[in-house]
Amino acid sequence: MRTSLALVALGLCLCITFSLPAVGAEKPIVIGAPLATAFLYGWDAERGIKLAVEEINSAGGVNVGGTKRPFSVEVIDTRDLEPSVPISDALLGVEKLILEKKADFMIGGPVRSEAAIAAMDLLSKYKKLSILTTGVLTPAYTQKVTENYSKYKYCFRNTSHVGVMMGELGALIEDVRKTHSLNKAYIMVQDVAHARAGGEAMQKSLSAKGWTVIDMKVYPTGTSDYSVGLMDAGKKGAQLLFIWMDMPESAILLKQWTDLKLKCLPLGFVNAAEQPGFAKAMEGKGEYLIVDLVNGGNAPAKITPWTMKFVDAYTKKWGLEPEGYGTSSSYMAVYQLKAAIETAKSVDTDRVITALEDSDLMGVYGRMRFDKKSHQIIPSMDPKEGAVTGIIQWQNGKRVQIFPQGVSEGKVMLPPWMK
Amino acid sequence: MEMARKERIDRGLKVRTEGIYAISSLEEIAYLVGPRLLLIVGLLLLPVILDLAPYWKRVVNIMCVYGLLALAFDFLANYVGLVCLGGALFIGVGGYLSAIFNVYLSIPFYLSIPLATVAGAFLCTIIIMPCLPLRGVYFAIVTLLYPILFSRIIEALNIFGGTNGISSVESFPSQYLEQYTIIIVMLLALFGMRRLVNQDVGLVLRGVKDNDQSIRASGINLTYMKSMAVFIAALMGCFAGAYIAHLYMWAGLSLFALDFSIIPIAAVVMGGGGTLVGAVVGCLILVPLSEILRAFGTFRIVIYCVALTGFIVFKSEGLMVYLQRKYHQFERWAKV
Amino acid sequence: MEIVVYGIINSIILSLLSLGFALVYSIARVPNFAHGALYITAGYIVWVLLHAAGLPYVAAILLGLAATSAIGALIYRFIIMRIRGMEISEIIGTYAIGLAIIEGLRWGGLRGMTYTLPVFVAGSTEIAGVTVDYQRLIIVGAGILIFICLFLFTRFNRIGLALRGIAQDERAAMMLGIDSDMTAVISLAVGSGLAGLAAILLLPLGNIVVEQGYNVLIFAVAVCVIGGLGSWTGTIVASFIIGFAQILTETLASTHFVVVVALLAIIVTLLIKPSGIFGKQKQLEERV
Repeated sequence: MRTSLALVALGLCLCITFSLPAVGAEKPIVIGAPLATAFLYGWDAERGIKLAVEEINSAGGVNVGGTKRPFSVEVIDTRDLEPSVPISDALLGVEKLILEKKADFMIGGPVRSEAAIAAMDLLSKYKKLSILTTGVLTPAYTQKVTENYSKYKYCFRNTSHVGVMMGELGALIEDVRKTHSLNKAYIMVQDVAHARAGGEAMQKSLSAKGWTVIDMKVYPTGTSDYSVGLMDAGKKGAQLLFIWMDMPESAILLKQWTDLKLKCLPLGFVNAAEQPGFAKAMEGKGEYLIVDLVNGGNAPAKITPWTMKFVDAYTKKWGLEPEGYGTSSSYMAVYQLKAAIETAKSVDTDRVITALEDSDLMGVYGRMRFDKKSHQIIPSMDPKEGAVTGIIQWQNGKRVQIFPQGVSEGKVMLPPWMK
Repeated sequence: MEMARKERIDRGLKVRTEGIYAISSLEEIAYLVGPRLLLIVGLLLLPVILDLAPYWKRVVNIMCVYGLLALAFDFLANYVGLVCLGGALFIGVGGYLSAIFNVYLSIPFYLSIPLATVAGAFLCTIIIMPCLPLRGVYFAIVTLLYPILFSRIIEALNIFGGTNGISSVESFPSQYLEQYTIIIVMLLALFGMRRLVNQDVGLVLRGVKDNDQSIRASGINLTYMKSMAVFIAALMGCFAGAYIAHLYMWAGLSLFALDFSIIPIAAVVMGGGGTLVGAVVGCLILVPLSEILRAFGTFRIVIYCVALTGFIVFKSEGLMVYLQRKYHQFERWAKV
Repeated sequence: MEIVVYGIINSIILSLLSLGFALVYSIARVPNFAHGALYITAGYIVWVLLHAAGLPYVAAILLGLAATSAIGALIYRFIIMRIRGMEISEIIGTYAIGLAIIEGLRWGGLRGMTYTLPVFVAGSTEIAGVTVDYQRLIIVGAGILIFICLFLFTRFNRIGLALRGIAQDERAAMMLGIDSDMTAVISLAVGSGLAGLAAILLLPLGNIVVEQGYNVLIFAVAVCVIGGLGSWTGTIVASFIIGFAQILTETLASTHFVVVVALLAIIVTLLIKPSGIFGKQKQLEERV
């Protein structure tokens, strides 16, 4: 009995020792990537980061005041998108990256807004710089930085958020209204905070611009039947269907929309429609859906000369086109970090923070600069001024960029049964 | 032909430690006190040893939280006969109450945690009380669904911060306070429960599991006894929830996560149901294992579940029961 | 009018999801918490056969059903049989297996939302002024067909009668020479087959994601508890009640509360009439 107890204790000790970090592996700059790797918004970022790191390392690495050091990536699964796992697990993952894997900088997540906001305190405590590149659409993140700069100055975000997205969608909808003379809208959102907020914001902005918003329906996660809402929209003559859904059941919504041949144009933020395999999977029933991909470059487009270079490199390495909405931003974050380190000529956190605030890089989706007070990337409709969004429409089974006008490849198409 | 059978009898040392003879010599004292001392001292020293690997200190905190939940489950399932599959309910209620007291009512943490524990326990008991007359399976199903129901209600009504949760909850002022609070509370709970089940009250509760009609026939109110058991278990669970809220400075929907229900059950099954120590030992194994297996992504859940099924089917007595048997008894061949 | 039409459709969908669970519980007295996992497995197997192996749709469906039934039977034979009778161990055991299958599939690649099954007939039509797509009509038709088949099977087929016998009184049936283990294996095979059928009919409506496994389980348990564990008519009636309750909540109140309705219904039922609407367990035996 005592021997077995002793053996168990010994085994535990051995386990712990072998998880301790190896001494002396300091030369590469370690990028910690806390991501929900089993989900689209995790693996899209992971692939973007790894592609960038590979390109930078094969070009020689980062020039830190004279010495060339490579990047190395440590990805940790935060599990924060898993339905049954509490956020404390994600935070444990972030701490593991900081304490055990000795990450110098963090790029990527955590992906869920709750987890990311909770992680801000952790990052502040350990004084680690982080560039958030995927998930987290809430404006609250950068609001916290503005409110308490000295505590949260370590947190940057180079992906867009709901506030900006609403404005861009609003502009697109204005164009559609003028071109096709539509004026009745119906809103269907998922019952999560950011989707509801998006829906309410859209309701206000549409009403202000002269649209009649027939109704807004909020569906809890897991709803598998949208017939009541869709038929209501059809009966009342809705011409625009604004959707904001993360859940897989949005595919059911779109299929029902096609089957019912509703005379409205579906538009919004639909997680299910961000993958290139969407068209084939839906057997064409997702055609004409307009999806906001948050940042440009997550689908083939010609925003800057780098965009297609990135898309081709990504397709070559991973076998499919960029998907999700964290791919281009994660890729660029690594380059932004590289530029900041080279300007600061060191990896000291405070100096890199200042360098990152001053950075000005022409990237995959436009000019990439951070706002000095909120550490949010500066958006714009013009790639020469700021970061451009990627709003696409599924046309003929492909994602075609239709907005902003200056960088679009195609025009908004209405479904044929709407004429 | 000589036939022999295997016989299990108590060790001499065990027999000598019964009753007053337990203090007759150092050997007997060491036999009884040894394992307990190992557990207590080991756990108390853990934060100090793990200064070398600070990340693992966090794991110890989480482990003790799960330990409290596992104790609650073990107590309810194996001593009172109520299989409560919804440990997440306690954590969620305790966590949210503590966050509400701390953030909305500005009560400092050393008051909000005890308040949340007691208030949460009352709330949970009242919620579970209507389901107490149900048969085992139904009670299990309902308690499994309660956390899901509550999280959906909070989500639908968008109260208490909705899907964003309540943040900026006060944290512990010192790291040592943070760690030793939970370890000491867990040890107190463990030894307290062991004491409790041997007291009069505990015996009545165990009677509820064995034969509740006889308890009723003795003129004791069955529902009152069961509510008391749920209250005690809820005290432990809500404390764990309140602690987590302050540990991570945040309370949200994922406090009702399924993991908080499942891992304690797995820990009890593996550690040995019916011996409260088994619950703690099970957590000692499972939680660090979960961290070590993080590299495997969701495959780690497959590993747990397969291991859990294996334990349930083949070795349903669990680790501690097995170890205790080896400690107290020995086997030998005896002539038939 | 839409309420009636879509109410019927949704109710039949719910009953298809729950029949497998109800069947297994009433015959083998095993709450099969791996029901959701079997649902997803069936869908995944059919998808793999269809896309990776390139089999024709019908062949893929038949093979998928057979495979799922086999998996169900194997789960019983090798795992549940040993813990039969210990209810809590059964719940935890089947739940653990279900979880292992679901998360195993997720780890093995069933991620993202691009896994779908094609519908049987594309297009839609009008019924009483309400547009309904063909797939949903097929679901209603298939559902009714399955109910009739089950009814006939358990009234007129020897094996079906044996299953009913075991469900009514296990000891008496065993005295008549019906092997309880064999019937349990068959019931689990049929139950898993029903889960697979539900998957094949329902998955073309949307896509295959592992989270559906959890949702299916919750709905199946809800319907069975309300209808009474152990009664098949109860399951069908309960699914109609929940189906209409959900549609009415959606139309008259808001969409917020649709899922909450299902969960509250369980709790209310358990408080008022724990054996469910048509449950066969007597009140006395239900005391804890």
